[in-house]
Amino acid sequence: MISREDYQAHVKAVQPKSPMFRSLLASFIVGGIICCIGEGISDIIKLISPEMAKEDVGSWTSISMIFLGAFLTAIGVYDKIGHFAGAGSIVPITGFANSIVSPAMEYNREGVFYGICSKMFAIAGPIIVFGTVGSVLVGVIGLFI
Amino acid sequence: MKVGKNSFKLNQPVYIKSGYTIVGEKENDGNFGGNFDLVLSDDLWGEKSYEKAECKMHREAISGAIAKAKLERDDVDIMLAGDLLNEITASSLSARNFPTPFLGLYNACSTFSESVILGSILIDGGFADIVTCSTSSHFSSAERQYRFPLELGNQRTPTAQWTITGAGCSVLCRKKPKKEDGIQKTDQNVEDMCEDDRKLVEDTGNKHIFYEKTHVAKVVEGTFGRVIDLGMDDESNMGAAMAPACANTIMRHLEDFGRTPDCYDAIFTGDLGRHGKELLEFILAREGILLPDTYMDCGASYFKAEQRTYQGGSGAGCVNTVFNGYILNKIENGTLNKILVVPTGALLSKDTPLQKETIPGISHAFVVESEKYDDVTEPEQTEQKSKLRNRFGKKNREIK
Repeated sequence: MISREDYQAHVKAVQPKSPMFRSLLASFIVGGIICCIGEGISDIIKLISPEMAKEDVGSWTSISMIFLGAFLTAIGVYDKIGHFAGAGSIVPITGFANSIVSPAMEYNREGVFYGICSKMFAIAGPIIVFGTVGSVLVGVIGLFI
Repeated sequence: MKVGKNSFKLNQPVYIKSGYTIVGEKENDGNFGGNFDLVLSDDLWGEKSYEKAECKMHREAISGAIAKAKLERDDVDIMLAGDLLNEITASSLSARNFPTPFLGLYNACSTFSESVILGSILIDGGFADIVTCSTSSHFSSAERQYRFPLELGNQRTPTAQWTITGAGCSVLCRKKPKKEDGIQKTDQNVEDMCEDDRKLVEDTGNKHIFYEKTHVAKVVEGTFGRVIDLGMDDESNMGAAMAPACANTIMRHLEDFGRTPDCYDAIFTGDLGRHGKELLEFILAREGILLPDTYMDCGASYFKAEQRTYQGGSGAGCVNTVFNGYILNKIENGTLNKILVVPTGALLSKDTPLQKETIPGISHAFVVESEKYDDVTEPEQTEQKSKLRNRFGKKNREIK
């Protein structure tokens, strides 16, 4: 029968590849639209209360986007956007909300404690760990600059 | 009786008294639509979780097959069952509803052939008279166990397959079944009919289709599969992991019995998918074995292209629902006489690829022949049957 090396080389050569151009284009467009929505929300907040500090506007925009991501996940729309857009809908903060809400929904059948609470960060866990560690490192470096 | 190195021939044939299938809506919309006994419009089937739904499907498939064989639950001597859930819970939890000894099996997606082979051997050896062989899989429970939550917005890779939501059960028995009534299909809408039926209605203009059951299916031979690992490590490319095991089993089967693939009316492999099917043909071609036009991969042929499942169906319910639905009908009406069924399984858990383990495959094969019922004289509908037979070869080529 075919040798291990020959087979691996053959599989590598013939296996179907992701359509690179289509994926990049879709993620560029959808990612761009999500960012535009964020900008729009930020502009609306500025319109409503012009005296709000810049940081607060940013926080309220993030909160609104997280709510949107979580809401679209809950009504079963975000996964369809994700099937089409790939990284375009995973990288923005709405994707982060999706990665926490989707396991929470999936595991609610195992109960609140061992289901929702323990499995909620199954996918977002690495992002939180790297985010925390990264911010500590940057903070330490910042002390010496 | 042992044949060659890894094969066996039963001393007496073991008959398949009935087959019963339950599938989801998407599966019924595919190429085998109209061949299934029960189609679920709700893939939770009124249960609170997908695991419970799969368990219910498994239970109902066994009950359905027993009822279809006109048997009572007490008549079954041994239940052989398996599925893809952790610790095969869909099978074991459904077995608590039956007053029958239960043997749980796991060979991933090739569990169905494992159960049929073991069931036949148990009957042939005189250890049982009636055995049920059942497997199940559910798209949503498999996604959650092996991949990601359903609502996560990620993309599937082009080599990915779609786990079949389906359960099926065959009832094997020692005694040759008596001739039963055929299947009368008259109350269906033409749109709901499977492709063969629809063409027949269009050809003949007669809306009453009557499949006379002229033959009974029997298991006669089999080949045990070895675990073959050619170093595939991509868990989203199961076809490539399973194709070498399938090729190995087919080669040893042909060698043990001294046959060529042309000895069979059709060869059905498990759930290799389109990519895996090409790889199988590639490996066998290198060995000088060319698979005939009537070769079909159940996974690759399961869904239509517009259903966007990439490589096609997979899962323990894949080959099972095709066999108990589509193939068994073809054998029972005399379209197919001798077939080789080679389901394939990839052996992994969610953790093994993370621990840098490669993914081996396994594949057991069994041969099913048709035998005329004792009281059947020469069938009257020869014209209809030859039409069906021609169409079968043609359809296989088209699906490819």
